[in-house]
Amino acid sequence: MSRFHFATFLIWLGGFQALCASDQNTLTQAQAFLKANCIACHNEKKQLGDIRLDDLSLDLKKDGERWGLALNQVREGLMPPKKSPQPKVEETREFVALVAQAMGTRPSKLPNQGNLIPHELLFGKPTSEVVPPAGRLWRLSPENYLLFVRGLSRGGVTGLTQPFTLVPERGIKDFAGLYSIDEPSTEILLRNAELIVHAQTLAKNDTVPEFKKLMDPELVPTRPQIESAIQLQHRLAIGKNATDEELKRYYALYEKCCQSASRPEALRTVLQAVLLRTDAMFRMEYAQAGKILPAPELARAIQYALGFKSDSQLFNAASKGELQTKEQVAAHIKRILYDPQIEKTKLLRFFQEYFEYHEASRIFKDKPNNWHYDPRVLEADADRWVKYLIEQDRDVFRELLTSDRYFVNYTLTMNKQTRKEEPKQTVPTPMKRDDKTKTYYTIPSIEENYGINKWSAEQPIRMPENTRMGMLMHPAWLVSWSTNFDNDVVRRGRWIRERLLGGTVPELPIGVAAMVPNEPHRTYRDRLKVTRAEECWKCHRRMDDLGLPFENFDHYGRFRTEEEVLDLEATEKNVDKKNKPLGPVYKKLKLDTSGIITDSGDPKLDGPVKNPRELVEKLAQSDRVRQVFVRHVFRFYMGRNETLADAKTLQEADAAYVNSGGSFKALVLSLLTSDSFLMRAEPSTMESKK
Amino acid sequence: MFETTRRELLKLAGYSASATLLSGMLEQIAVHASGTEKLPRRVVFFVQSNGMNPNHLRPEGVIAPKNGKMTNDTLVEYSLKDRKLHKAFEALSPFQEKLTFVQGLSGCIARSDHSANHGCLGACPANKGPMLQTIDSAMAYALPKGIFRHVLLGLGGRPDTTMNYSLSAEAAGKANPIVCSPALAFKSLFGSVSEGEGRTAFQQKTNLLEFMKDDVRRVSNSLTGEDKEKLDQYLQAFENLHTRQQELLAKAEILKKNAPKLGEKIKSDKSSLILESQIEIAAAALISGLTNCITFASGGGGQQFGSFPEFNLPDLHGVGHGNAYGRTSSEECFVELRQFHVKLIAQLAKKLQDVKEGDGTMLDNTLIVYLSDSGESHHPNLREWPVVLLGNLGGKLKTNGRYLEFPCYESKNHRTMAALYCTFLHAAGKPRDKFGVADPAYKLSDQSGVVKELLA
Repeated sequence: MSRFHFATFLIWLGGFQALCASDQNTLTQAQAFLKANCIACHNEKKQLGDIRLDDLSLDLKKDGERWGLALNQVREGLMPPKKSPQPKVEETREFVALVAQAMGTRPSKLPNQGNLIPHELLFGKPTSEVVPPAGRLWRLSPENYLLFVRGLSRGGVTGLTQPFTLVPERGIKDFAGLYSIDEPSTEILLRNAELIVHAQTLAKNDTVPEFKKLMDPELVPTRPQIESAIQLQHRLAIGKNATDEELKRYYALYEKCCQSASRPEALRTVLQAVLLRTDAMFRMEYAQAGKILPAPELARAIQYALGFKSDSQLFNAASKGELQTKEQVAAHIKRILYDPQIEKTKLLRFFQEYFEYHEASRIFKDKPNNWHYDPRVLEADADRWVKYLIEQDRDVFRELLTSDRYFVNYTLTMNKQTRKEEPKQTVPTPMKRDDKTKTYYTIPSIEENYGINKWSAEQPIRMPENTRMGMLMHPAWLVSWSTNFDNDVVRRGRWIRERLLGGTVPELPIGVAAMVPNEPHRTYRDRLKVTRAEECWKCHRRMDDLGLPFENFDHYGRFRTEEEVLDLEATEKNVDKKNKPLGPVYKKLKLDTSGIITDSGDPKLDGPVKNPRELVEKLAQSDRVRQVFVRHVFRFYMGRNETLADAKTLQEADAAYVNSGGSFKALVLSLLTSDSFLMRAEPSTMESKK
Repeated sequence: MFETTRRELLKLAGYSASATLLSGMLEQIAVHASGTEKLPRRVVFFVQSNGMNPNHLRPEGVIAPKNGKMTNDTLVEYSLKDRKLHKAFEALSPFQEKLTFVQGLSGCIARSDHSANHGCLGACPANKGPMLQTIDSAMAYALPKGIFRHVLLGLGGRPDTTMNYSLSAEAAGKANPIVCSPALAFKSLFGSVSEGEGRTAFQQKTNLLEFMKDDVRRVSNSLTGEDKEKLDQYLQAFENLHTRQQELLAKAEILKKNAPKLGEKIKSDKSSLILESQIEIAAAALISGLTNCITFASGGGGQQFGSFPEFNLPDLHGVGHGNAYGRTSSEECFVELRQFHVKLIAQLAKKLQDVKEGDGTMLDNTLIVYLSDSGESHHPNLREWPVVLLGNLGGKLKTNGRYLEFPCYESKNHRTMAALYCTFLHAAGKPRDKFGVADPAYKLSDQSGVVKELLA
C-alpha cells in the first residue's frame, strides 16, 4: 500500500482522536516533501514570495497558517513552479493528504477556507463515526441579536442600534470562531438593554405586565416579587431560570441600586444586567462527553439555527427535561420545519449568503434611459423565487440551478375586501416626460431585465427559450457579480470554482493592481486576455473560463447575443464640417459564450461548454457539485468549516437530501440532528451544565 | 534629578494595578515629565467621501498642469501668503499662515473604485478589510492618551447609519467604529455631566458595570483557550467602561463647562446638521481633554457617500457621474460640498484657537489632516492624493502657509502617502520609516522614510 493510501485509510478507520495526537508524526512525514521540493527557494537566505518554510514547526497552533498556505499551493498545482523539477503525482497527493489530515481535525477559521479539506476525503468512502467538535462560544449574529430582542417584548423596541457586525468577506460569515464583543459594541449593548427594559416596563403598550406592576414608586416589593421578575427576565432572554446563587447576586445589585435610585429604577438596572449576561450574548455550547447539549442551550441553538422568534413547545420541552434524546430533538425540529405558521428566516438566509444575490443593490450603475432598472426589485424577485422553491421542497438545488421559471416584478398585496393576498407588479409600467414635445410616454419596467414583454399575475413565469435558467442567470445574481460598468467574469468564475466545484483560488497577491484594460473598442473577453500572462494564468485558469459563458448577459443582467463596442474608425470619421468630433459611434460584435470546465475533481464534468446553460446543466447533474452544496449548508448551520471528523455528518446529510427527492428541509433536519450539531467533545466545567 | 525621580515614580505608578483610574492622566503627566514635551498635542483626521479635486487646493496664481497631469521632477513650492484661496477653501483664509496644501503624493496601493476604504488611512490595499493599524489609530497611540484614546465621529452612508467600520482600524482585523449618531456620541462623551435623573442614571450605570465585570469574570475563569480569550475581551470592555466612568466623574467640572449645547439638532436626520453636531462634539472633546485624537468622517468607505437632500444633493454618486442637480455643472455641486465641509473645519480650528494653552493656543499644538478616502476624484487613480494640513503639531511640522506639489509618479523623487504617514509619526515622537504596504508598481526609488520637506 502506498504511503498516500495508507494515510487516507487511517482516516477512514475513524481513529480521529488518535490522529489528533499524531499530528506531529504526520507533519514530520510532510516535511520531507517540503525539503525535497520547496526549501531550496524558501529558506533562511532565500525567501521567494517572502515565504520561508525551512523553519516550519510541527505546532499547528503556531504555524498552521503557513502549513495551510503550503498545502493550498501544492494542492492547486501552483507550487513547485513549472520551471522547477516536479514531484511525482503520488508524492504530491501524499503530501496533500498528510497535511490535510493533520489540519483537518481542526477547522480553518475563516469563511471560504472550508474547501481546503479535499472533497474526496469527505465523500470518498463511507464512514461510521463522528468525533464531536470541542465546546465553544458563539456570539450572536446581527440577525440573531434581533431575534433575541423580539423575544423580550411583545411589541417593537424603538431606537435600537445593531451592536454586532460580520466580517466583510463575501459568503457565509457567521462563524463561531470569529467574533467576540469589543468595547464599542458593549457600549451599544448597554444602551440597547436600557431601551429594551424601558419598553418592557414603562411603555404604554407592549409592556411585560409582571414588570409593570412593580413600577409603582410607592410600592415596596418583597424579595420574592423581585426574584420572580428576575426569573421571568431570565426565561425571556435565555430560556432558563437563574440559579439560587445567581439570584442572590442579582438581589445584592438591586439593594445596592436602591441606595441611590428609586426601587423601580433599581429593578430596571437588574433587568438590564440579565440582558448583558454572557449566556445571553453568546451561544454557550458545552456538553458532557457522550451527551447532547444541555436542553436550554440546545433549544436556543435550534432557535438561532432556524431563525424563529420563539416556540413555547420547544422551550417547555427543554424545561421539562423532554429534550434529552436525539429522537425528541428531531421531533421538535421536524415540527418547526414543516409548520408553515412558524416563520424561519434562516432557510432563505442560507441561500442569500450562498448565492450572494443580495449584492445587486450595492453595485452602482448608471440608470438607463429607455427602461426601468431597479436592483432591489430584482433581489426581491429572487427571494420570492427561492422561498417558492423551499416551499415546493423538491429537487431544490437542481431547480435553483436549472429552473427557467422566475418570479418577475412580483409582489403580494392584501385585498382589503376579500382579505386575501393578490399579486401585482412591484413597479408598474413607468411614465417618462419628453421635455421637447412635453408629452408622456411609457418605458418598459423591470420585465425588460428578464427579456419578457408582458407581466402576468400567474407566476413564476417561464423565461424566453434558450435565454436563461437558474440562479446563475437570474438578473439579481448577474448584477451582484458585476462591476459598475462591466460583467465580473473573474469573480463569477471564482464563485463557481469555490461554491459548486469545491475548489480553491489563492487570494490576489498583495500589491497586484488587477486591472482589465479600459479599451472600449474591444469585447470584454478580448480585454480579459491580459490574465493569460503566465504569472496571472496559474490562478486565472481556475476562474476565467468558468465565468466567460455568462458574457451571454450584459452587466445589467439582460440576455444578449452581441456585444456593443466602440467603433474607432467610425468615431474618428464622425465629425462636423469644422472637423469637430460629433461623439462616439458603436458597433456590435457577435459574442463568444464558450467556456471550459477544468480540474473539477469529477472527470465527467471536465470539458468545453458552448454557453452558460450547457455549463449549468452539466454542473447540476454532478454528484460532486451537489455534495459541495451540502458542505456549504453544513458551514452555515454549524457556524464553522467542516473537518474530516464531520465526514459522516456530511454523507448522511447528502443521503437524506437525495433519498427525500431533494428536500432542503430534510437536509437541514439531518444536519441539526447530527452529532456535529448536538454533541461536544470537551467536558464542560460551566455552571450552566450542572 | 527631580525629573528623573518623578519619571521613575510615574512609570511605577503607571504599571501598578491601582493606577488604572488615573492612567490616562498619568500618561499625560509622564509625557510632560519626560522633559521633551511641554504641552499635549492633538491630531484630527477629517475624511470626506467622493474625492477631492486637486484644483480646489490651487490658490490664485498656481496654474493647474496641462491635461491635469503633473509632470514635475522636483518639488514645486509656493507661499500662500497674499494669495487668494480657491473659493472651495475660502473659509480657511483666516488660518492661511497655518495651512499647507500637499499635492502629488500617490497611494496607488489602495486603488479601488469610489473609496480606498482602510487603504486611505492605512496606505494599504483597499479591499482586504482592515489589514493593519491605520495612521489615525497609530497617532492615537503615539500621542498622550486622554480618557478616550481615540474618538471617531462622523456621518454614515445614510443619516440613520449609526456606525461606520470602513475607514479606521486599530489592528489587522479590528476595524474601529466611527460613531455616526450625534446622540450616541454625546451620551458616550458627556453623559456624566447631566443633572438630576441623568446623574442617577450615571450612578446606576456604574453599579451595572461593576456587576457585569464580576459576572463575566466568573464565567471567563471557568474557561480556557480561545473561548477564554473571547470572553476576556468582553470582560475588558466592562472594565474599561467602568474605569472611564470614574475618570469622567473626576473631570465633571471641565466637562460641564465645555459640553456642547446642541438642542434639537442632536436628533436631526439631516446630514448637514448631523455633521454640525458632530464637529461641535469633536471640538468639545478636544477642549475638555477627553481625547487627543479624533477621526472625523463625512461618509466614506465602500459606496457610502452620504447624501445632502437639504442642499438639493440627494445622490453624491450621481454628482460623481456628472449630475448637476439644477446647477450648471457637477463641479458646482462638488464646490458647494467642499465649502460646507471646509467651514466645519474652520469652525473647529476657530474653537481651538480660542483656547489659550501655554504661550499660544490649542490650535498651535494641533494638526488637522483633511483628505478624501477616494483620493483625487470619484473614480480615482490615486497617483496624486490631495491632502490639506492645518496646524503644525506643536511646531513639529513645517506647515506655515505653503502650497507643495511633490514630484510626479513618474519621477524617481516621487513620494507616497505612506511617507506622509511616517512623517506624522516622526512628528508625534514615535518615528517609523515604513507604513502600510509598499506600492509594487513604483520601482524608481525607495519608498521608505519621511517627507522631509514637511518636518520642522
